[in-house]
Amino acid sequence: MARLLLIEDDAETAEEVLGDLRNRGHVVHWEASGPTGRTAAVGGAWDALIIDRMLPGCDGLTVLQALRGAGDQTPALLLSALTDVDERIRGLRMGGDDYLTKPFALGELAARIEALLRRPVDADATILRVGTLEIDLITGIGHRGQRTLDLLPRELKLLIYLMRRPGQVVTRAMLFEEVWNYSFVPKSNLIDVHVGRLRRKLEAAGERSLIHSVRGLGFTLISDD
Amino acid sequence: MIEALRTTAFRWALGIALWSISLSLLLLAFVYWQTGTFVQAELAHRLRHELRYVAAEPGAAVSRLEIWLGEDLHNVRFAGLFGPDGAKLIGNLDALPLGLSPDGEVHRIGTPVMIAGRRLREELWMAASRLADGRTLVVAHDTDEIDRANATVLRALILALGPVLVLSGLGGFLLAARARRRVKATQEAIAQVRRGDLNQRLPVRGADDEFDRLAQDVNGMLAEIARLMEEVRSVGDAIAHDLRTPLTRLRARLERSRTGAHSLAELEEVIDQSLVWLDQTLSIITAILRIGEIQHKHRCAAFSRVDVAQVLAEAAELYEPIAEDKSIRICVEVTHPLPFLTGDRDLLFEAVTNLIDNAVKFTPACGLVRLEVSRRGAICILAVEDTGPGIPPAERDQVFRRFYRAEPARHTVGNGLGLGLIAAIVELHGFQAVITDAPGGGCRFEILCPTTIDRGALHTAAVISA
Repeated sequence: MARLLLIEDDAETAEEVLGDLRNRGHVVHWEASGPTGRTAAVGGAWDALIIDRMLPGCDGLTVLQALRGAGDQTPALLLSALTDVDERIRGLRMGGDDYLTKPFALGELAARIEALLRRPVDADATILRVGTLEIDLITGIGHRGQRTLDLLPRELKLLIYLMRRPGQVVTRAMLFEEVWNYSFVPKSNLIDVHVGRLRRKLEAAGERSLIHSVRGLGFTLISDD
Repeated sequence: MIEALRTTAFRWALGIALWSISLSLLLLAFVYWQTGTFVQAELAHRLRHELRYVAAEPGAAVSRLEIWLGEDLHNVRFAGLFGPDGAKLIGNLDALPLGLSPDGEVHRIGTPVMIAGRRLREELWMAASRLADGRTLVVAHDTDEIDRANATVLRALILALGPVLVLSGLGGFLLAARARRRVKATQEAIAQVRRGDLNQRLPVRGADDEFDRLAQDVNGMLAEIARLMEEVRSVGDAIAHDLRTPLTRLRARLERSRTGAHSLAELEEVIDQSLVWLDQTLSIITAILRIGEIQHKHRCAAFSRVDVAQVLAEAAELYEPIAEDKSIRICVEVTHPLPFLTGDRDLLFEAVTNLIDNAVKFTPACGLVRLEVSRRGAICILAVEDTGPGIPPAERDQVFRRFYRAEPARHTVGNGLGLGLIAAIVELHGFQAVITDAPGGGCRFEILCPTTIDRGALHTAAVISA
């Protein structure tokens, strides 16, 4: 359970987001304008902020910039109707931790908030372990139990990304942004095919499934012990 | 009429009239001046000649003077022979005129003379010369003749100026009126275009003058605008159609399952299906917006040096598993050395993945998709070839328009926006997209990227395999 602040001027979008995030067990507070949102952001101890890019009274980016300027490092996700790649880059540069383009699936937003709340584990570790899965980050060699995995570079990158977020839902768009470093939405089943391949390699000897599909959303890596 | 005075044509006509009048005046002034000078020079010549003739033989001077004066019927000639003391010896001049130097040259001097027994003061042209024996000889001529000649010429010139004024004014007016008529016809045509009739064209007289050429240019522009409007309209129709189909399906499904669903699981399944359809619809809208964004943006600020071979390799890698599922092989061929391209890496990647996506989609099982980067002179070529059905030459031009799909492709999944997106990206970079036949019988898409050859920019990338 996390305390979240949503700054969004469209009441109906806000209502959907509030409903969904509350169902997932979060405490969410809603502000509808830039200035009130900023006051609320400064006043409360929030775990994450969700800020719409275009707000009445004061732009979402300005709110974020003011907070960052005052030393507030609360993770923030920007929502925007602008699909432009440059806009995204600007948003991230101004202190946003993630950027989501409208229209979005509620699950996508929830997954990204989850990712912001649970910063990747073992950032300094040289060996990642999830259940029977193990990767040596220095040699780039992975093992499932005693079996050595034969992974292509991209598959290794994909697996490392998943292993740093065990039990967390990772969406296709997130994977494409973080593993492939491209920020447009790829054709629907491209990522699935890549993940499917990786999954087959992980379970080649009939082991238990590690990567699970989350219907309509993405994937999650769940420890097998 | 007041409005007519303000028109450019009229002002031009007025200008032309003023100019021709000024020219005439200048010409007339010159004629007047030249005539005067000529008459005067002629007279001076005669006076000098006579002076020399009389002075040539001092002994016969008196008789020669008398003959010269005797020939004068109109009292226009004057002469005098004066002794060394200045006393008059002969002639119709009373005294040696003051200020006349005996240098043999002709001077204009006012002096009193006797004409028909009356003393008058006359303006005379006169020349004097001192004879060898000390006497001074003066011959002179009335200036009236010259003045009269000058006056006559001046009068003639002033009389001629009237018609010149009238004619040039009339000419200017006619020219202005003619130009005004053409402008008016053009204005009327333009007014109709403005009222929405894009099929209206400006009048062309067939004279191939500047006016006609301008009108032809404008007509060409109107035709292009009409074509674009038509395209926009048909794109609008296509968008509406493509959006309506899944939405209609969705509506029917929701309506049916609201009453027809027997269990929560059934309802959930319907909702999941609905979400897929909605996502499809949204992806169409997103693609349209993206094309619009790319077309309207001046992204050059975000341009940087792009390693195309790497972009191609990454795109191939991205599609390799999906191609493998269809037993299609993707191979990448890079001819070194390659120049770096200046561009937007993300957009170029998007363009290439769209091309590969199409290629994989249209290539039957066990086919081959070939990616190629090569250089032809200063042009870098990105090519994607497949072993699919190809695109008929007649349809190649239309392929890059939004929403166009070649007939055989209608049954394949996709919204026809991929190539529109490629076209927008290619255009943004100032590149060129070309479709040809692949040697293997399929289709070959080429993106031609002009580069400025810079030896330092040539690089050799790692060997790439997919």
